[in-house]
Amino acid sequence: MSKEHRDITPALGTRGGPASWTPAEPGASVGLAREDFGDARWSYLYKTGDTGYADAQLDADLVSEANRRMRDAPISDVRGPFIHAPVWSGMVATYFWLGGMASGSAFVSLACDAAGDHRSAAIARKVALGVVSPAPVLLIADLGRPERFLNMTRVFKPRSPMNTGAWCLVAFSGSGALAVGCDLIGQPRVARGLGALTALFGSYLGSYTGVLLACTAVPVWSGSRTILGPAFVATATATGAAATRLVLVASGLPHGHPTRRALGTIETASMLTELSISALGERRLGDAARALRSGRPGLYFRGAKSLVALGLSLRLLGRRTGAREHELASVAYLAAGLLFRLAWVSAGEASARDDAVVAAMARDRGGPQDQRRPWQARAVSTRRSPLPLPGVVRRAYGEAIRRTSLAIERRL
Amino acid sequence: MGFFTDTSVCIGCKACEVACKQWNDLPADGSQTGKGVSYDHTGDLSASTWRHVRFVELFEPSPQLREEAERALTNGAGGHLPAIPAAGAVDVSEGTHKLGDWVFMSDVCRHCTNAGCLDACPTGALIRTEHQTVVLQADVCNGCGYCVPACPFGVVDRDPIDGRAGKCTLCYDRLEDGLEPACAKSCPTDSIQFGPHDELVEIASRRVAELHSRGIEGAYLYGAGDEPEEQLAGGLGAFFLLTEPPERYGLPAHADSPVQENVVPATLAAVAAGLLAGAGTVLAFAAAARRGRGTRRGPSW
Repeated sequence: MSKEHRDITPALGTRGGPASWTPAEPGASVGLAREDFGDARWSYLYKTGDTGYADAQLDADLVSEANRRMRDAPISDVRGPFIHAPVWSGMVATYFWLGGMASGSAFVSLACDAAGDHRSAAIARKVALGVVSPAPVLLIADLGRPERFLNMTRVFKPRSPMNTGAWCLVAFSGSGALAVGCDLIGQPRVARGLGALTALFGSYLGSYTGVLLACTAVPVWSGSRTILGPAFVATATATGAAATRLVLVASGLPHGHPTRRALGTIETASMLTELSISALGERRLGDAARALRSGRPGLYFRGAKSLVALGLSLRLLGRRTGAREHELASVAYLAAGLLFRLAWVSAGEASARDDAVVAAMARDRGGPQDQRRPWQARAVSTRRSPLPLPGVVRRAYGEAIRRTSLAIERRL
Repeated sequence: MGFFTDTSVCIGCKACEVACKQWNDLPADGSQTGKGVSYDHTGDLSASTWRHVRFVELFEPSPQLREEAERALTNGAGGHLPAIPAAGAVDVSEGTHKLGDWVFMSDVCRHCTNAGCLDACPTGALIRTEHQTVVLQADVCNGCGYCVPACPFGVVDRDPIDGRAGKCTLCYDRLEDGLEPACAKSCPTDSIQFGPHDELVEIASRRVAELHSRGIEGAYLYGAGDEPEEQLAGGLGAFFLLTEPPERYGLPAHADSPVQENVVPATLAAVAAGLLAGAGTVLAFAAAARRGRGTRRGPSW
């Protein structure tokens, strides 16, 4: 609608300033306010007996029985909207692609070291660092308030995949940069150790994005919660291997070198794994899978699948002819990886708008929940600290980050 | 503290919507008239609409009218708006018969016990307050947008201009001063009631029993009075008395914090796959190295 022309100048304070709910005069009395929210109790409805509003006897069984009957009745009429569609742009999908590629390259560097090809390992570490470095830029650009990006690390919150992912990105880039630095100053042993650590962080960096999508109310994402992580890891490995392979070839790795062969095998195997996991997930999703088949996400998916098929046939062709086909196949896999991420991210938008599926999925969630396993227990959402740091330190750190963010925002 | 919204006495006046906008200094969303489907011109809760009176009408327009309306909407301001519902397109006698099914529901943030938005928030901007409500700290939020799909009720949203997420605070500033929230204050029929949660649940339960005794068997509570294992998101701080199945109001029949539901199985699967992929890569290299030493056949790779 006409949102662009909307006046959002606040009546008090400055736009984006701190919340305005601190009293102007602490402890001042407020006119009409009565103790214990007494002003809320003027209502005639609260006085039972004379209005007939709620005179019946309290009967908890009647209420829970009525609730169950109405909530479990067959769905007759679905009126949306139910949930809000995610607001992420293509930059997030591109970040998923790059982050995955970086973690795949970290795996490759670890494997090269293990196989004794240290030259390729050092190059793979550089690829991982080079690929992950634009990732924070993409993530920050997608924020509604990019100037406040520091707030991502204001708390450590294992419950929130986006928070753990932000920390993991910091850890991955940090150890990746240190590893490359050690390579450059001629400390190969330290670099190898740091490379292994980077690969360990990479196993989460490449997979948490799937967890992040799964932890939402969007049917197509939460319905494939055990599919998304593995599928994303498979794409990550394939694209990481493909990117590293292309760089290695460009840097003059000789024909017939076992590393070239191994990377080619990894690309093909993980792309095939990804396709079979996706097919399995699509079957399990049922009606919710239609967000993956139609519209733009469907187009992306079909594109990704065709590119994988193209890559596979180039690989087969490459056995007979020269090496160029193998390089082209790697390029096709890289592009397929990007389309695949775009497909999953954009499918969420379509799925959130599919009211019938949202309603149906909510119904499926019902039923007896008393056989819950311990890890399925639910807890009141509140702030809990996983770290045994004293409260003063935590608060001081969080407050420092918050103030720095606001200072950056004011400066810009 | 919480809200009890009794839709059986709501008259759809939208005073709560206006009071909320005024008190919280929220911008207008722009007029969305001519939806061709409903007289409700707000449409949905958003970052700048924290109370929304949902109109649930059974005055369905004809398929032609609906199509015409959709076309006009996509054409923007230049599109010709169709004549809205009733006359002509609807069988008036049938329509009058169905008039009783025109219900309103004043929608608001549920302040869930297991709150998806709070679990998802990576910055700690969303907190649980001393009033047991869920509040978004506007000075911390960096607009990552994760709370938007993490809310199973479609409440919180990110403002396209301001960039931050926004939702009902249950008038945290008013509560601090001992005042009831603006929407509850303005409600002329006291359909929106504010008070200590257990007190509200008691009134609401008695109201359900009262309506049942008057023959309105469809009355039930959405978000309170359930058996512990059937609770919606652990119990809702702001709950509703409804008279129609939940889907008719755009409400999920069952809901819980998507983060708490999915984070453990999803993370286990993902990390296991990540470690497997790393190990698989190492193994592939080992295999290639062994094969490479044997037959170095063909220059193709």
